[in-house]
Amino acid sequence: MWKRTARGRELHFYLAGINNQNFLMRDRETGSWWQQVTGRAISGELVGSALELMPSDELTFALWKSESSNEHGLVLAPVAGHEKDYDKEWEKEVAKYPVPLTFPGQGLRDRDVILGVTLGGQARAFPLAKVRSQSPVEDKIAGVPVALVTGPDGESVRVFRSQWNGMDIELYRDAHSDGQSPEWRLLDSQGNTWNFAGCATSGPASGQCLEKINFLKDYWFDWKNYNPRTTVYNH
Amino acid sequence: MNLGVMNRVMDRSENRGLRLLPGLLAMFSLGLFLIPAFVIRPFHHQSERALELAIAVKRIAPALTVVAVAGVVALSVRLWRKSSSVLRAGIVMALVLSAASAVMVRQNYFEWMFHPIAAAGFVSVGDAHLGDKEMVMAVRIGRETRAYPIVQMAYHHILNDTVGDVPIAVTY
Repeated sequence: MWKRTARGRELHFYLAGINNQNFLMRDRETGSWWQQVTGRAISGELVGSALELMPSDELTFALWKSESSNEHGLVLAPVAGHEKDYDKEWEKEVAKYPVPLTFPGQGLRDRDVILGVTLGGQARAFPLAKVRSQSPVEDKIAGVPVALVTGPDGESVRVFRSQWNGMDIELYRDAHSDGQSPEWRLLDSQGNTWNFAGCATSGPASGQCLEKINFLKDYWFDWKNYNPRTTVYNH
Repeated sequence: MNLGVMNRVMDRSENRGLRLLPGLLAMFSLGLFLIPAFVIRPFHHQSERALELAIAVKRIAPALTVVAVAGVVALSVRLWRKSSSVLRAGIVMALVLSAASAVMVRQNYFEWMFHPIAAAGFVSVGDAHLGDKEMVMAVRIGRETRAYPIVQMAYHHILNDTVGDVPIAVTY
C-alpha cells in the first residue's frame, strides 16, 4: 500500500503490464511506469521517484473486526458484475504458475511464501510456515531486535520491534492462550502482557505499544529478485 | 532508348518499390504492437533490457502507427488504379493490419483481463458479506479504518482511494 503522491503531485494508478510476475502500473498524470513491489518509477517523467509506503496489515476479517469495532470502519464492496471473477482459490491457482526466475541454494523453493523484513539496509526472509509454527519468532536484523507474531486467529501476522523503554525484551506465548481464546496474549521478561496490536495490557509498560515494523508477504523468488543480498531465517 | 520508354521503365521500378511499401509499413506497425506484447508476457521472464525496449516502443507506438496508417492510405490512393487484383488485396491487407495495429497500441489489454475499479463502493462492517477467515488488507489513518478483501484486490490489483484525506494506492 502506497501514498499516491510524488514530487508534490497526486497520482492515479492503473495496471499496465507485468515484470517477472510482479505487476507494472502507470499513473494517469504523467504516464510514468512503476514497479508495484518497490513503489519506484522505472521509466517516464517521474523515473527515480519512490512512493512512500503506507503502513498496513494483512488480517483475517474476524481479527480486523475485533480491532476496529469502535471506529469508523468501511469494507470495500465487491464491484458489481465481477463477483464471479473473485476466486477464493486464487492462491492455489497461482501456486501452479511457472516461475519466471529461480533462486535455489538458500533452502527455499521459488514459490515458498516468506515475510520479508528490511532494516538498516539488511534484508531477511522468514518462511511463513516457520513463523506460523514457531510464533513468536525472535531475531535481530542490523542490530534491531524483532518479533514476528502470529495472531489469535492463527493466520494474521505482525512484526514488532521487541524493545521497550530502550531495553530489548523477550516475548513468549502465554501457555494459556490458544488459537480460540479471547485471552490471547504474549508475555515478556519484564512482567508485561501484550496483545496482538502490540500494546501492553498489563505490567509496567501498560498502555504503551511496541513499534510496528513493515514487512512484505511475498514469494521467495520475487523477494530474492529485489533483495539479492537477502539472508534467510533458519533457526 | 527514347525518353518515353525510359520514363516507363523508371515508372515501373518506382512503382515496384512503392508496391512493397504498404506491406513494409504494415509490418512495421504490427511490430510496434507485437514487440512490447511479446516482451511483457505473463509467466515469462523479462530481462531489464527487454523491458526497457518494450516500454520505449510503447512510448513511440501511438504516434508512429498513425504515421504508418497515413502512409499506407496515401500509397493506396496512388497505387490503386494501376494495381492488379492481387496487389489490391495486398493493399487492403496492409490497410487493415496498420489500422488494427494503431488501434491495438492504444488498448490496455491488461485491463481487459483485470478490470479496474472505476468507482469503489464501501459497506459498513455489518453489511460486509465476508467470512471470518477471509483475509483483508487493512489500513488505519487517523480515525478512519478500511478493509480491502484480498480476494477482490487479487483480481483488480489496484485501487486509488483516499482515507482520512490521504490519497493512497492499494495494490496487491
